[in-house]
Amino acid sequence: MASAHTQALPRPTLRRRPAFSLRRWTEREGVFSWLMVIPPALFLMALVGYPFVYGIWLSLLDRPVAKPGVFIGLDNFITALHDPVFWRVAQNTFVYTFAATALKMAGGLALALVMNQEFRFKNLIRAVMLLPFIVPTVLSTIAWMWILDPSFSVINWFLVHWGITKPGPSWLGNPGWAMFSLIMVNTWRGLPFYAITLLAGLQTISPELYEAATIDGASTFARFRYVTVPLLKPVIFIVTMFSVIFTFSDFQLVYVLTRGGPANATHLFATYAFDVAMSGGQFGLGASIALSMLPPLALLIAGMAWYMRSEKT
Amino acid sequence: MIVEKRGFRARSLKLWLPLGFFMIFNLFPFYWMAITSLKPNSELYSRKIMPLIVYHPTLEHFVNLLSETNFLLWTYNTMLVAVVSTAISLIFGVMLAYPLARMQFPGAALISFAVAATYLVPQPLLFIPLADIINRLGLGDTLTSVILTYPTLLVPFCAWLLMGYFKSVPHELEDAARIDGATRLQTMFRIFLPLCVPGFISAGIFAFTLAQNEFLYALIFLTKTDVRTVPVGAIAELVRGDVFYWGQLMAAALLGSIPVAIIYSFFVEHYVAGLTSGGVKA
Amino acid sequence: MASIIRATSRRDVLKIAGVGGAGALVGARSGRAATKNLSFMHESSFIQTYDDFFKKTLVPEYAKATGITVDYQLISVGSLQTRMATAAETGNGPDMTLAFFNWPFLFDEKLADVSDIADEIGKKNGGWYDSAKEAVIVNGKWKAIPFGNVGQIMNWRSDWFEEAGIKEFPDTWDAFLEAGTKLKKAGHPFGLELGHGFGDNHGWLYPLLWSFGGREVEPDGKTIVIDSDETARAVDYCRKLFHDAILEDCLGWTDVNNNKAWMSEQISCTNNAESILWFAKKQFPDIAEVTQQSLNPQGPKGRFHILAPWSHAIYNFSPNQKESKDFLVWLMDPKQVERWYAAADSYYAPYLHAYDDAPLWHVEKRNLPYRDSLKTSHLPGWPAPVSRQSSESVAKYVVVDMFAKACTGRSTKEVIAEAKAQLQQIYKQA
Repeated sequence: MASAHTQALPRPTLRRRPAFSLRRWTEREGVFSWLMVIPPALFLMALVGYPFVYGIWLSLLDRPVAKPGVFIGLDNFITALHDPVFWRVAQNTFVYTFAATALKMAGGLALALVMNQEFRFKNLIRAVMLLPFIVPTVLSTIAWMWILDPSFSVINWFLVHWGITKPGPSWLGNPGWAMFSLIMVNTWRGLPFYAITLLAGLQTISPELYEAATIDGASTFARFRYVTVPLLKPVIFIVTMFSVIFTFSDFQLVYVLTRGGPANATHLFATYAFDVAMSGGQFGLGASIALSMLPPLALLIAGMAWYMRSEKT
Repeated sequence: MIVEKRGFRARSLKLWLPLGFFMIFNLFPFYWMAITSLKPNSELYSRKIMPLIVYHPTLEHFVNLLSETNFLLWTYNTMLVAVVSTAISLIFGVMLAYPLARMQFPGAALISFAVAATYLVPQPLLFIPLADIINRLGLGDTLTSVILTYPTLLVPFCAWLLMGYFKSVPHELEDAARIDGATRLQTMFRIFLPLCVPGFISAGIFAFTLAQNEFLYALIFLTKTDVRTVPVGAIAELVRGDVFYWGQLMAAALLGSIPVAIIYSFFVEHYVAGLTSGGVKA
Repeated sequence: MASIIRATSRRDVLKIAGVGGAGALVGARSGRAATKNLSFMHESSFIQTYDDFFKKTLVPEYAKATGITVDYQLISVGSLQTRMATAAETGNGPDMTLAFFNWPFLFDEKLADVSDIADEIGKKNGGWYDSAKEAVIVNGKWKAIPFGNVGQIMNWRSDWFEEAGIKEFPDTWDAFLEAGTKLKKAGHPFGLELGHGFGDNHGWLYPLLWSFGGREVEPDGKTIVIDSDETARAVDYCRKLFHDAILEDCLGWTDVNNNKAWMSEQISCTNNAESILWFAKKQFPDIAEVTQQSLNPQGPKGRFHILAPWSHAIYNFSPNQKESKDFLVWLMDPKQVERWYAAADSYYAPYLHAYDDAPLWHVEKRNLPYRDSLKTSHLPGWPAPVSRQSSESVAKYVVVDMFAKACTGRSTKEVIAEAKAQLQQIYKQA
């Protein structure tokens, strides 16, 4: 696309250049581009770049809240790496991210395939399906808090009522179930976004491709595997990346539902960093924990991008 | 007859069954919110009665929500903040995405790398220095503080989604306009951007959703009750000590999501269309 | 009193004339020049009438007396510390703030010295409880005015205890276990939080540790002594209690859950503040009828409670420090504060001996143990002095998780070793 673009561009500069004209100057591709890019770039530099550098600086300090800091180099990182909870948190974050992303992908794809059919009230149903994504997370999480509360859980009410289990599982009390519950709630929240985006992708696939595949004798599964999936890959990549970023740094859900309990079984990087910095008053250590989530996340994203690129060629 | 029956069966298997499952999974919590908001406290706390039915529905929680808290004001604040910060994010998003997607210039790689990197910066790391900036600007306890900070979360995503869309638009129209003597700015505004409305809708919806959902910055920057947004206001006034005002909280959740849901039902088709041509080919 | 008020208003005039520039810095807060504003940050109280009383009665009264309007800024529960930290870090925020626990210590360098008015208030009101001083005196200076204690004691169902043949609330942890075993068998388990809540977990686990003789660190604030036979006994006890008497869900509870379980008549005993009885009285009178409250049981080394102080501090970057002090003196005057305490029943137990027999304690006799618990209450980390290390240990739930892990079946040795490793890491700089 880029090559077609450069060819098509007329090159007025080839003519003899008159005296400097502001208008002509701003018309130059490089100048115009930079003029456009500079304001948002400055904005991001001021409100993301500066705080970020400040955060990095904090992570190198022994810096209790409201007190002057002392430079201690990488000591905070060393402390964090020797902290068993830190490793627990790292493990939790990965489990949470992978499981929730995989579920959202599978569920989202299924829902997208279902919604890609013709049926009555299609638009209404599509919009309604998006509800979990729309409602403020804090409030929907409070609803889940009630649904998962062992004494009031409707799920448990039915489990007990139908005689499946005597006391229902302790959804947030048992370390394993607690992680499971968080993953389910995260999936619930993120699945509609996956579905609607994948649906968009599905609609770009031209029906002729399916027809051709059908004529060639491909089964439904084969059509899905060899037509749908390859063509959806770019869009799957994008939603997955969004989802990985948001899930990896999730805060609200855990903060409202478990505060990282029981016994740190659901603490994630963001909540742990927040607890150490805010409740513990250790800004330096907190910043170093928050910062530690950056390399794995960057690697994850870079890995995905690399995978996509190698698939393309 | 037989064919029709088989068709029906296949259709239930392929459509209605899974659709039903997803409807239940996605919407059950909303049903739960709805009945919780209608139950009197005595029913809320009863573990013996069937929980899915309201025996003595009451509007008490809704009345209390609307009369005892500033819920309507919070809703107004939320919408205002979300709309303005979405608009800012879209404008900045275009300013970044247009050159990156349509032009070649030195430093483009650097800029796109920098934008990509801002996605990854963990939010919990930023809020203290941001709070400092906000205070130095004298913006504490104003809606401007969040209107200004939300775009830091939204601009990268908007730029990215828009870039995908922009790349998919053919060059011919623009080239023709340029040959006719239009400036780059004119070409962009008159020819190019109108072609990209679906892209704006999808990026805008995405940004809007994130903005009206945001919790951490709103919590830190907005303390006065009359400048709060729905998530922060509801939590501040309806969670008291270790007791939650469940009925009112659920009423707030419902009332808070209905207007957005209605907006979505209008735009969902465009949202899909916007992503279709954009995101997919990115 | 009148002299203070007059002095205040005169100073106001001078101040407004002199610091017009500073007023601009304060921006949003400055308001009209004629009436001075003070801002006072508070967390939404569990008891709404308490917040209402301040807004609707005390604010107008103070405005009438002095012309100063106090802006009462309510912060959502659990967010006060974040707001305090942001204000302290940026040097911009309210004039006065509520502080919990050991926060006067955490924010020490950003808080004004209020020793003078603390002395004055103490002298007028029969003196301060010793426990109050534990949290607010930093390096010999009062950094906040203690307001009240939101104590945690045992709340229990007298009807079910009676059915199980228990007339009096168990006085020792052993008797407590015995009672719990009976009640759990009868379908009425205990509900004691073991999760990552804010207060209901620490509320009984630190006292449990202490009453068996266990502690995190020595009074020197350096030597880690968590690895002791006493701790081991407390952990073993807790595991047994969990299995025989407590609901499994408690491991995942935050502070909300026990209130909910109480109102749904699922548990027969919990450890909570007075809020549980208060809410029951409002919404579930039948349950309130059979709700009793008692001091924590005692162990081999005595009886303990958690100290949960609320105090009021003044930021030292506030341009209105003097006015804030005057306001706090006015507020803590019995004419005002007694009515404010009363507006919250006895939810906030005063730290002043003058109130030991005040009428507010006789409104509800069942709340008297909250007053009595003050004598045996300490902050987490006790007997070491308050320090940032003790805060970090609380933030990382070291003690809570030690007990919780044991309840999930891990060996006593392991969980203590892990707690010790965490404490060593936390205290290494000390």
